[in-house]
Amino acid sequence: MKIADIDAINFFTDRDVVADPFPYFAALREQCPVRREPHHNVMMVTGYEEALAVYSAPESFSSCTSVTGPFPGFPVPLEGKSPAEIDALIAEHRHKLPMNDQLPTLDPPSHTASRALLMRLITPKRLAENEAFIYRLTDRTLDALLPRGSCEYNGEFAAPLAMLVVADLLGVPDEDRDTFRDVLLRKHGHGEQKATDMVGSADTKMSLNPLEFLYQRFSEYITERRANPREDVLTSLANAKFPGGATPEVIDVVRVAANLFAAGQETTVRLLSAGVKILAEDQALQERLRASPDLLGNFVEETLRLESPVKGDFRLARCPVQIGGVDIPAGTTVMVLNGAANRDPRMFKDPDNFDLERANARQQMAFGRGIHSCPGAPLARAEARIGFRRLLERTRNIRISDRHHGPAGARRYEYVPTFILRGLTQLHIEFDPAEGT
Amino acid sequence: MRVQIDDGRCKGHGTCCGLCPQIFELTSDGYARVLVSEIPPEAQELVQTAVEQCPEGAISIEEDGF
Repeated sequence: MKIADIDAINFFTDRDVVADPFPYFAALREQCPVRREPHHNVMMVTGYEEALAVYSAPESFSSCTSVTGPFPGFPVPLEGKSPAEIDALIAEHRHKLPMNDQLPTLDPPSHTASRALLMRLITPKRLAENEAFIYRLTDRTLDALLPRGSCEYNGEFAAPLAMLVVADLLGVPDEDRDTFRDVLLRKHGHGEQKATDMVGSADTKMSLNPLEFLYQRFSEYITERRANPREDVLTSLANAKFPGGATPEVIDVVRVAANLFAAGQETTVRLLSAGVKILAEDQALQERLRASPDLLGNFVEETLRLESPVKGDFRLARCPVQIGGVDIPAGTTVMVLNGAANRDPRMFKDPDNFDLERANARQQMAFGRGIHSCPGAPLARAEARIGFRRLLERTRNIRISDRHHGPAGARRYEYVPTFILRGLTQLHIEFDPAEGT
Repeated sequence: MRVQIDDGRCKGHGTCCGLCPQIFELTSDGYARVLVSEIPPEAQELVQTAVEQCPEGAISIEEDGF
């Protein structure tokens, strides 16, 4: 697809761009890697070096609107204001912005403290234990799916995996995990739900809103473990301190725990199905990876590069700043497009091609860069590596379902309709189980 | 105090470089590198933060013996 008029395209609302944003990114980058789009006046950063420059300058760019950008945008006009005035306005208004208590929207110094708290929850020891859990859960899920010969991979494999992996990491007790599954995966009722699933929550209505549910559950866990410490993960969560030794308020711990669920769900699901789609479309690639599982690490990096599950992230310029030779006035909303930077031909040769042996695939920036770089990256990588590996080892071949997606050469895929996430709504696959699995 | 980066673990998030650019930089290969052999006292707290905030747990501190 060649783009005739870039400015006719509204990246934030056009459905065609949701299905395939890459020709638009390329057209923008060809004109200039830092270029304003006219519909919402957002400065679009599509170059690799330029994206890196924005992510590396938190003193010049606030993250207060990082998730929402121009929707609804900053509550008061910022154009023409001085850096000191902008700083004052951010301080005055940031608490009214969406997700203002979540890590992605915080700036230093409060970001530094909250992130340190989060990193104390996902220690190397926890990650190692969690990886063993990922392995067991992957196999248990495949035990149920493989004999059927087909599945809808997102709903039946990836979503439950991504959710239960975070639940395990944070030490959610086994007996509560079904409730988490019901509430967070939005499968309510249907006669299966037992009264005991609602233990500890007086009002079932409240528990139907996922974020409210998480806040309520983790408040209970943390409060209870502070009163009655045990030998478990939740107790170490409850006892985690800020750097410097201060004890966080219960709500501070609850927020970072909820943030892990919020950030580790949709993104991981899209990464997993992007990888399995690439595999299912290419039998030769499957054979290579079955024969050389060592290549799976680079397979994951190349999938992240090519199909970056987070298309991009917003920043708000606090002061006049130059990026890639382009002047960005104070008060400008900037969108750093990870998915575009990852296909910058100046950085990645033949960028639209999947290349299992791409030497610099690890330099992809699907997880962002700098102080906001995704703290859950090791988790996502472990889920992908183990999920792909076991699926390959336990099948002889994996195929796209022609019945759901159309025949090879004329496939139909549907992508999640947001300007932040990149990924398949559903992925129907078929497979032949390997001997003896 | 000295710091080390495990090249096998570093994935180039650049979190350390964002937190203390005077101590860490991203090389042209995209991975983090330590710029100084000895961490000056005024930077030690920030380096400690960088160690904790590295998503890959790739940075480690070596305290000087007496």
